[in-house]
Amino acid sequence: MRRNWLEWLILVVSVAAIAALVGYLTIQAVSGNAPVDIAIEPRRAEARTTSAGWELPVTVRNAGGAPAVSVAIEATASVAGQAETSEVVLDLLAPGSDADLVMGFSAEPEGEVTLRLIGYESP
Amino acid sequence: MGYGRRPHGQYPRPLGARYAEPVGRQASKGDAAGQATSGGDDDGSVGATARDHLRAVAGGLLVGLPLLWTQEVWEDGAVLSPGKLLVLLGIAFAVVAGFNALAGFRRDRTWAEVLVDSIQAMGLSALVAAAALAVLGRLDLSLGLPTIAGRVAIEMIPVAFGMSLAATVLGEAEEGLGGPSGQDAEVGPMGRLVVAGAGALYFALNIAPTDEVRELAAGASPAQLLVVLFASLGIGLAIVFHAEFRGGLAAGSRGGDGPLETPLGETAAAYALALAVSGVLLWAFGSTEGADLDAVLAQTLMLGIVASFGAAAGRLLVGGGKGSGDESRAGA
Repeated sequence: MRRNWLEWLILVVSVAAIAALVGYLTIQAVSGNAPVDIAIEPRRAEARTTSAGWELPVTVRNAGGAPAVSVAIEATASVAGQAETSEVVLDLLAPGSDADLVMGFSAEPEGEVTLRLIGYESP
Repeated sequence: MGYGRRPHGQYPRPLGARYAEPVGRQASKGDAAGQATSGGDDDGSVGATARDHLRAVAGGLLVGLPLLWTQEVWEDGAVLSPGKLLVLLGIAFAVVAGFNALAGFRRDRTWAEVLVDSIQAMGLSALVAAAALAVLGRLDLSLGLPTIAGRVAIEMIPVAFGMSLAATVLGEAEEGLGGPSGQDAEVGPMGRLVVAGAGALYFALNIAPTDEVRELAAGASPAQLLVVLFASLGIGLAIVFHAEFRGGLAAGSRGGDGPLETPLGETAAAYALALAVSGVLLWAFGSTEGADLDAVLAQTLMLGIVASFGAAAGRLLVGGGKGSGDESRAGA
């Protein structure tokens, strides 16, 4: 009836796709999710002065097994003797993914830029 | 390929035929036998297989594209738990298999064939959804495997629905047979409810994941929700009457006077079904999480407007074919 090579190919590929997807999701579901684990890495070497001031690229990575929503990151530094704070909120940080942020300051700070996680929503 | 191989009836007919009156059922069996003979030539050819699957892919994209373009669904793919995604895939498979069964049995297909067709529809839809997401730049390796799997799993569901729809509507368009004057469109009350449920699903699917549902629900007062409820019922009732006028039938002449065969009874049942579909969809897309009963009810009623319109539109398709169905019954 239905038996030509294309039918077979599509059936085999279909079964493989479903098996891979369902198998992976099953493993994920059974193994249970590790909690959110957010790491923040400044990339000072790539910082630059722009017409808006000074920009510091930052990589935020979720190394955990659960997603985080509305991830708020804060950077603090001292610029010309004044404490300056910069804040960025990420919509979504999926497990195993990373995001590139840019934190802005009015000018290049003297000394360290301190980065911290303010908080996130656990959906 | 079941979901691609030309069905020859109009969309409502395969659905209705199973639940139809004995006379209508005989007519549909005769059709199916005739089709099996005439359609037998291209069963084995690779070209026909390719064409059938291309049609399925087109149907899948037709229904799936709106959700492939919806940000909330991308996020759901990353946020929903793997266990829930598995449950959703199971529900989707049941719906696809049910649709293929309704469309397939009147073409004398066996359970095994319907099952194989459904597996192919699910597998193909996963590949199509993944390819579409990749083209849109919503699927790359930096996302991490859990997000990739989740995103494909949720986005393939509407694509699979579209593929099962392609078995009926798109195949019909190519076939050029049937049309609104189907020959055995006599549809029983249960058949009309099945069509109503399918219509509600296809309409509400695209709205359910959007934030707008939650926003509308949050801003609605109880009085407004009552207005929404009666407006939804009113749409359904108006459509039933419209369908009956087109069919030239009085309420009682549908071959029975069961509780579902009065306009009010049928409308109420269809609306209840539309609300149930809405509730399941809202749960599926995570809208009900953290919401209390009042909020869930408000969301369900708001999405229920869309779902009941879909249910009504589905019944309109069936109702529209009914008058001519009577003609053909007279001739049979």
